[in-house]
Amino acid sequence: MTDITANPQSDQAEQDRLHQDLDEIWGNPRGWRALSIVNHTTIGVRFLVTGLFFFVIGLLLAMLIRTQLAIPGNTFLGPDEYNQVFTMHGTVMMFLFAVPILEGLAIYLLPKMLGARDMLFPRLSALGYWSYLFGGLILLSSLLLDVAPNAGWFMYTPLSDRVYSPGLNSDFWLIGITFVEISAISAGVEIVVSILRARAPGMGLHQMPVFAWYMLVVAMMILIGFPPMILASLMLEISRAADLPFFDVARGGDPILWQHLFWLFGHPEVYIIFLPAAGIVSTILPVFCGRPLVGYRWVVLGVLTTGFISFGLWVHHMFTIGIPQLAQLFFSAASMLVAVPTGIQVFSWIATLWLGKPRFELPMLWLVGFIVIFVAGGLTGVMLSLVPFDWQVHDTYFVVAHFHYVLVGGMFFPLMAGIYYWLPHFSGRMPSMTLGRWGFWLTFIGFNLTFLIMHWTGLMGMPRRVYTYESGLGWDLPNLISSIGGFIMAFGVATFLLDLFLHFRFGEKAGENPWKADTLEWATQLPPTAYNFVSLPDVTTRHPLWDQPHLPKAIANGEYGLSVSGHGRRETWGVDPVTGRIRHIIHLPGNSMWPFVLSALLAVVCICLLVSAYTLAGLGTMAALVVCLRWSWENGAHPKAAPDAHTKPDEPPLHSRTFDGPGLWGMGTTLISNGSLYLSLLFGWFYLWSVSPNWQIPAQNPLNHGFMLAALLPALATTVWLRRVVRQLKQKNISRLGLHLWSITVLGLLHTLLLVMLIFEAPLKPTETTHDAVLLVMLGYSLLHAVVGVLAAGLQALRVHWGYVGISAPYEPKIVLQWWVYTTTVFVITYTATVLFPLTWKPY
Amino acid sequence: MRPAHPLQLIAGLAVWSLWFIAIYGGLSVACQIAPPEAEAGALNRLNLMLGLLTLATLAFLLWNARRCWQAINQGDSEEARRQRFLATLGAGLHLVGAIATLFVGIPILVMPPCL
Repeated sequence: MTDITANPQSDQAEQDRLHQDLDEIWGNPRGWRALSIVNHTTIGVRFLVTGLFFFVIGLLLAMLIRTQLAIPGNTFLGPDEYNQVFTMHGTVMMFLFAVPILEGLAIYLLPKMLGARDMLFPRLSALGYWSYLFGGLILLSSLLLDVAPNAGWFMYTPLSDRVYSPGLNSDFWLIGITFVEISAISAGVEIVVSILRARAPGMGLHQMPVFAWYMLVVAMMILIGFPPMILASLMLEISRAADLPFFDVARGGDPILWQHLFWLFGHPEVYIIFLPAAGIVSTILPVFCGRPLVGYRWVVLGVLTTGFISFGLWVHHMFTIGIPQLAQLFFSAASMLVAVPTGIQVFSWIATLWLGKPRFELPMLWLVGFIVIFVAGGLTGVMLSLVPFDWQVHDTYFVVAHFHYVLVGGMFFPLMAGIYYWLPHFSGRMPSMTLGRWGFWLTFIGFNLTFLIMHWTGLMGMPRRVYTYESGLGWDLPNLISSIGGFIMAFGVATFLLDLFLHFRFGEKAGENPWKADTLEWATQLPPTAYNFVSLPDVTTRHPLWDQPHLPKAIANGEYGLSVSGHGRRETWGVDPVTGRIRHIIHLPGNSMWPFVLSALLAVVCICLLVSAYTLAGLGTMAALVVCLRWSWENGAHPKAAPDAHTKPDEPPLHSRTFDGPGLWGMGTTLISNGSLYLSLLFGWFYLWSVSPNWQIPAQNPLNHGFMLAALLPALATTVWLRRVVRQLKQKNISRLGLHLWSITVLGLLHTLLLVMLIFEAPLKPTETTHDAVLLVMLGYSLLHAVVGVLAAGLQALRVHWGYVGISAPYEPKIVLQWWVYTTTVFVITYTATVLFPLTWKPY
Repeated sequence: MRPAHPLQLIAGLAVWSLWFIAIYGGLSVACQIAPPEAEAGALNRLNLMLGLLTLATLAFLLWNARRCWQAINQGDSEEARRQRFLATLGAGLHLVGAIATLFVGIPILVMPPCL
């Protein structure tokens, strides 16, 4: 075992050996085995590169749009091609570029900024990446096959249902995007838990880098905001494939439900995109101003406020559908209100500029461009929050201009600043000022030429999504100018890409901490090693590199914690989420092919669903399930998870030997997201009951009261028994643990079988009424959870026999308990909402 | 919950969110089931209920903001700094929740509910 903590003056040879040992544990394999890489640096870079690839595709689609609209009566694209192009432009930019690239940047940066060696669920990061790549490619393939989605990036029903979109176009969107969203949710879980549990020792919440605050809020927003859209996509795909009428008015559905679910996701999505970019600004600006961010606490307050209030705005996308005026005013007021926390951040940036000594390096150009464009976009946003103005310009190019100002200004410009700022990190080289300036000015001028003019095009009444227009309406010149501007902007982006390409070959070598930054990511080597830091320092300040400039050397010399490598484990500190005090050592899984295999299988399932090969899709799902189980087997006390479980006498225990591992937090955050999906379903149920214009209910409730109760009892018993087992494990006072867990599995299985019987016994007619279709989905949701719960409990029983779970490695049953508490709670709520609640007014 | 408890960072705006769901959901359902007469203007039972809920929420948020503010620790230790950070933010976020409740709730005073 190599341990140099006791000897900080160790010689160079010893340091080299330590680096070599760490490299052996953390290093990336080459060739086809590179598919198994899970470390956050590589996964983050893969996200970034893939995101840039999709960005270029989205940009090319935008150029097609601008070419088509450059002159009136143009026949460059036909109406159907145009519909595909603008739908895919929006879809690619929102789902395949904006969110994933920012997630990738966060995955790359966060552990380095927080003083950790990796994210806490590296295999989940890898799964997220592969799902993103495969889902994106499936979606893009539709363009080559000329069946790309063509109903707008928002897929409004009934346009997107199978009556009005009978081809595969909408299916590609629904299945591809749902697949990609696996990536968003996994990144959300990963980011929340890693920020809260894997920081440098001593780094309390109040000392976190401000970027971590932004990403914490964004990750929670992803976990809560994405599930409504995932649910809506699943419902629409089921309605297309199996004719369940969730959005069909004639059978009791309501297309407006789609709009609610979509915008419940869609509006927070804007802030999910903006906030990480604002986090980049708040990180970089102080560095180039040479002083701390003014009003750190105010900024955190602003970010938290934005995170909440952004969920109260979704109806402002629906002002024209005929909801009561008072309700419109609630959303109008909330829409104005959200500008305030954003304003707080803008004032903080201006104050930092004012009080600092700004250095106008390349990233600063993009930051200044961001402030100018984003503030203008914010102002038109406040205009649009006013209901009468919104009615006036709804569905015109004014709205298109507004959201490009917000999204390109609010996301793309800070992202570019960030890429230039962290470029030395990726390459070990400094960016070129000359090409960089050209890229910026072409993009800035081109952007404003395109979209500033577009405000007037909209005010002159030009509607969105028309593939051409007649001459003489006053739209000819502004459209031509916008198109010219669009191409200038494209040249700007091309210059940036050229700069990037040349940079890796000819860029000047970067020295240590080249921008004189304050955050810990600059304490790594440039480019960094797979393990980030040789040793993990204590950090009790917001600006570690300003306060302790010697830190990078001391870290590299192995002068701090966990600079031991002989045990063969990948490890980082597990800390208290609030104080940052060390609680345990978290050991992390090594490279694994399972994430890639699982994503590949899911891709096969998606393709099978697209071509209606349902048997094959079923087989693929079973195979994916087996892979999931195998994956989860290599956890905790399994030798692959921790080859050597010994720690030094003065060190805390490994997390798998405590009751407090990151898995618990991971399950908790996953269930928050899962709960958001279920609440969306419940919202749909009550919404349709109260608002659907043609709601139809059967003469009798198809769900049998007694049967529901009978199914509930074993679920309750499973949960209570499991809770008892966990308590006894905690007290280290349990015998025949395996038998307990097998019995619990049997009880869970009984619940599952009763649910299956309930579904088959109930006289549901899901293709005839939305009422029955929703009931079926709710029962199916409970059944799915019961099946997973049974498998998880059975797996625990098996792991007891293999010695991976027991008094010395006790915490996994607690994770399964969380699942069963959730499953049982959901079933109780379903029972209340579908059986007990209707009894109060006897509609049947 | 302690004024310097980390959950104070989400409590204030979580209450605001629940209030927001309650008034929007309540309004929508009430307008479907038993809409008040349009001639009654803003003075009707539904607006009264929404207004009372708004006032109660406002009072709760302001009370909690004050509680957090009073708990701000002026000490200079690391623990005191951490508590000060949480309590100050908790107070601020409850206050923001209160302002948001008031601002979004004002239309209840002047608008008939179901037009």
